[in-house]
Amino acid sequence: MAEPEARNASALNNGGTSDSSPAPPGAEVKQWLKSLAKAHSKSVNSTAVAGLFAGFATIVQMTLLATIIHQGLVEKVALTALTPYFLGLLATLGVRALAQGWQTTLASRCSKQVRQQVRQQLNDCWEATGPVNLNQSSAGTHSREWLDHVDALHGYFARFLPQMLIATLLPLMILAFVFWLDWLAGLFLLLAAPLIPLFMALVGMGAESLNQQHFQTVSRLSGQFLDKVRGLTTLQLFQQTGPASEVLQQRSDQYRFITMKTLRVAFLSSAVLEFFSSVAIAVVAMYVGFGLLGYIDFGPAADLTLFSGLLALLLAPEFFQPLRTLSQHYHDRASALGAGAEIFSRLNASEPIGPRVHPAPSQDSPGVMVQDVSVGFGSGFGKNKLLFDRVSFSVGRGQALALTGPSGGGKSTLLNMIAGFIAPQSGAITIFDKAPGQQAFGWLGQKGFLVDGTWADNLRLTAPQASDNDIAAALEQVGLGPLLAERADGIHSKVMEDGQGLSGGQSRRLSLARILVADYDLILLDEPTAALDAESEQHIVQTLSKLKQQGKTLVFSSHHTALLTLADRVLQVVNGRLQAAPEGGHYD
Amino acid sequence: MINALRPWLRLIFHRRNRLLIGAFLILLTLLAGIALLALSGWFITKTALVGLLIAMGVQATIELYLPGSAIRLFAVSRTVFRYLERIYNHETVLRLLADIRVTLFKHLALVPRSQRSPMTGAQWLSRLLTDVDALDTLYLRLLAPTALAALVSVGVIILAAAVFSVQTGVLVAACLGLSFVVATGAVYMGTHSLAQTQSERQDTLRSQLVQHIEGYAELTAAGRARNHSALLMQQAEQLTSEQCSIEARAGWHLAGSSLLINLAVVVALWMGFSLYQQQMLSGPVLVLLPIALLGLGEVYGVLPDAFSRLGGTVAAARRLNRDTAESAEHGDVTLAKTTGLATPENGDFAVAVDDLQLRHGDSQPLLARPLSIKLKPGEWLGFTGRSGSGKSSLADALSGLINPSGGSVNSLPVAYLTQQTYLFDDTLSMNLKMANPEASDADLWQVLDLVEMGDRFGGEPAQLDTWLGSGGNFLSGGEARRIALARVLLSPATVFVLDEPFTGVDKALRDRICCRLEQRLAGRTVISLAHSVDALAGGTATIAL
Repeated sequence: MAEPEARNASALNNGGTSDSSPAPPGAEVKQWLKSLAKAHSKSVNSTAVAGLFAGFATIVQMTLLATIIHQGLVEKVALTALTPYFLGLLATLGVRALAQGWQTTLASRCSKQVRQQVRQQLNDCWEATGPVNLNQSSAGTHSREWLDHVDALHGYFARFLPQMLIATLLPLMILAFVFWLDWLAGLFLLLAAPLIPLFMALVGMGAESLNQQHFQTVSRLSGQFLDKVRGLTTLQLFQQTGPASEVLQQRSDQYRFITMKTLRVAFLSSAVLEFFSSVAIAVVAMYVGFGLLGYIDFGPAADLTLFSGLLALLLAPEFFQPLRTLSQHYHDRASALGAGAEIFSRLNASEPIGPRVHPAPSQDSPGVMVQDVSVGFGSGFGKNKLLFDRVSFSVGRGQALALTGPSGGGKSTLLNMIAGFIAPQSGAITIFDKAPGQQAFGWLGQKGFLVDGTWADNLRLTAPQASDNDIAAALEQVGLGPLLAERADGIHSKVMEDGQGLSGGQSRRLSLARILVADYDLILLDEPTAALDAESEQHIVQTLSKLKQQGKTLVFSSHHTALLTLADRVLQVVNGRLQAAPEGGHYD
Repeated sequence: MINALRPWLRLIFHRRNRLLIGAFLILLTLLAGIALLALSGWFITKTALVGLLIAMGVQATIELYLPGSAIRLFAVSRTVFRYLERIYNHETVLRLLADIRVTLFKHLALVPRSQRSPMTGAQWLSRLLTDVDALDTLYLRLLAPTALAALVSVGVIILAAAVFSVQTGVLVAACLGLSFVVATGAVYMGTHSLAQTQSERQDTLRSQLVQHIEGYAELTAAGRARNHSALLMQQAEQLTSEQCSIEARAGWHLAGSSLLINLAVVVALWMGFSLYQQQMLSGPVLVLLPIALLGLGEVYGVLPDAFSRLGGTVAAARRLNRDTAESAEHGDVTLAKTTGLATPENGDFAVAVDDLQLRHGDSQPLLARPLSIKLKPGEWLGFTGRSGSGKSSLADALSGLINPSGGSVNSLPVAYLTQQTYLFDDTLSMNLKMANPEASDADLWQVLDLVEMGDRFGGEPAQLDTWLGSGGNFLSGGEARRIALARVLLSPATVFVLDEPFTGVDKALRDRICCRLEQRLAGRTVISLAHSVDALAGGTATIAL
């Protein structure tokens, strides 16, 4: 039961790939992420400013530390006289903590805004795409994009982007300060500074290949694991679970071996960063030490004091810290690019339903008018080939039209066009003198759908104003009354109580009850009785004939004789042609 | 919390030596970093003071060689240890990753299918993956840093008590202890309930999203699609807000814990100066402790984030424990009962079914009336019935996958072609040999030819080693079905149960395959089930369900 459905999950563990269109080139995705960042630049910048402020507080903190030590040890100031400095130090620490805390608060706020915006974009995209195109990807894929992929943008906006700014500005701030203290010590840091862009690149390359390798390994391993879990029944039947776990173990050993080979190189880049920051500390310490001893008669060394020397030393690691933090956040960028590629291709590849040809408010027929309509096969490929070439028909208000004919003949396409879910390439469709989809109507697709909630929740989904009585009556009408009578809370009991679901027929009848309770003028039904048990079939036929008596306009596709006799007119749809069905009905 | 994590911790600690070596390398890296800075501070202060004496004309000497080389040594060793530590620990993580998956798979494999019913579907599988991922970083993110932070802190506290004064040691211990709590336990306490509801909320939202997409046509028709998506946005907003508040909380705890560490710096400095002015401490040593304390910031820095995820990890571990709990009760899932007829007193029957009745839970019986059949070796039987008539449940019962709710099933060893085709993400050969690991290449080609897939793979460069991609993208539905049929035919079993053997296979091909099946399986017992007579695997007798 689960196995075919479970395929949806495989795309998840493959990280990047999905069953939608191929991912677009990285440059476009980067551009898209950049435009999002631009739209939220205020939040990103304020996060960075908080971070810079914390960095500035750190400089002040180190300055005060060096001052206290210098005053106490060199100037021999009494401890009590140092109290103001200590108080200043405490105040600075408080400010620094506040700035750090604020940074994370602002960061998560920023990411929240971005994520909500992207989700709204996806919603808009779904709306523009329409149900028919939407269903070309599985519901699992869509929900994964909407939920997981959007969440994967978090680190990029909350951490990586602000840290980029911080890693550019804070080292400059510190460098300028150290230069002012002692230009030779500054020079030692500066010698590393031209290397900073190089570091950035190195860190980027290292972190990127680390990420790629790591995630590839994890996803391959997860893929193998998932594959075995999905096929567990097959494995159990052939008594192969033991060998399968051995294969799993072997494969992961192989993956690990390959991954570690690459990582030995990738980790070198972070070692380089580590090396430079260690060496910078050591060099500054040596220079300051020898300078203080008077061994260096060069440049500013003669003016070195414990204060300036110690401060230069304390600031040296702070100079490199923002870069190290950036390298820790690099994986945020990688995951945002990966997830962004999926979202971007969804936003761009989905074809909108297209401009609807708005008809001039017409003639005398207020029902469903289909005039000279042409439409291609599905969407995407074969668009030039027409499924329907200039077909016309109409259904008067209160009439019932049945579409019959072989599967693949285009019955669903016609229904989808009347619904406004797909637009014809040419021609016009009017529903009660309006464009399709402008007025609410009833739709019964081939698959019924349920929400996890009570019977009332399920009906109120499309008819929020319906009263309890209406709901009970509608469910009674479609023959679900006896089932409800068994449930303790009637319409307020859960549909899926005790893990018991509904049969295909029952859930289709529930969908029909949704239509009843909402009281639409037009009702479209795609094979309403296909593959149903006799009881459900009978209830659906009865309900439809009652709807017809109430003067509703019905258009449905069916092969079911009882339904076809219900229709005022039956059209046979064969290879894009409409013919009067042999059983009868009239044809114009 | 510990209870939920216990089996996983036990699994992780299976590699105790690796973990210890890895942690030791991290420790060396941290110590080298702290020592580099502290020693440099000591050195600068020392030279400054000696420099002053020299400037005043006092005869003073300073040992330069030893501190100089120590500083260089720490600078280089920090780099080297960092590199080694990352390589070594990453390898550990990859090993643990595999350990966790292999162990989990072994546990799941012990759960018979009848007990696995709630554990199906894409939702459960993706949940399973996320949960497994959550456990991957338990060691490197949480266990190792926490242990090392505690260890290094104790070291520094001892240093403070020994070199400064006991009082200093106590005060520093108070600051660091508080900082440790703020960075670890307090984060967990503040976030664990949120983190746990998070994953539930996410599951709810995910199923609502799936419903939204599945019902999109109905919602659009009713003009309610926009309202419904606004509802989803609201839920997402709440979810994101909670995620953000967890994140922000971890951030504030980080700020708080680093504030407390810096407070320890201030305390050490103050205490140091009072000792210095009582001439109980030298200037350079005074500088040593505050700078060493500054270095602790790096050690504590990773803790709040790790502990803010602990709640989620615990919840993940609980779910995994629940999924595998069944395996404890069912030691072995070999389908032993299906071989009940191997003993001679059961007569000549290959399959004996008496008064079989099937039902799911308390639902209505699946079969219209109890079923009794007896088949001798070589007898073939077909069942027909529309979907929902209990065909697949009957096939499951015949193969021993599910227990009958009434009556009994006995048979010789069964090979079962399930209604769902499942091909593994592996080579063709591995997929086929699953049914019979001893099968030769010639055997494989023989069954492939039987289902007319021999030419297809004969034309592939890799032949039998052709990789059948995951999800079976390489093959059409009908082709995949034929491979699954070929696989079952390799089985040495004497009874074959074939559920809808020809899904997606056209009539002419079906007839040709049927013809060859009759030859290949002559003398064996075959029960096939299908929606109509012409989709059966052949045979003379047919029962309509």
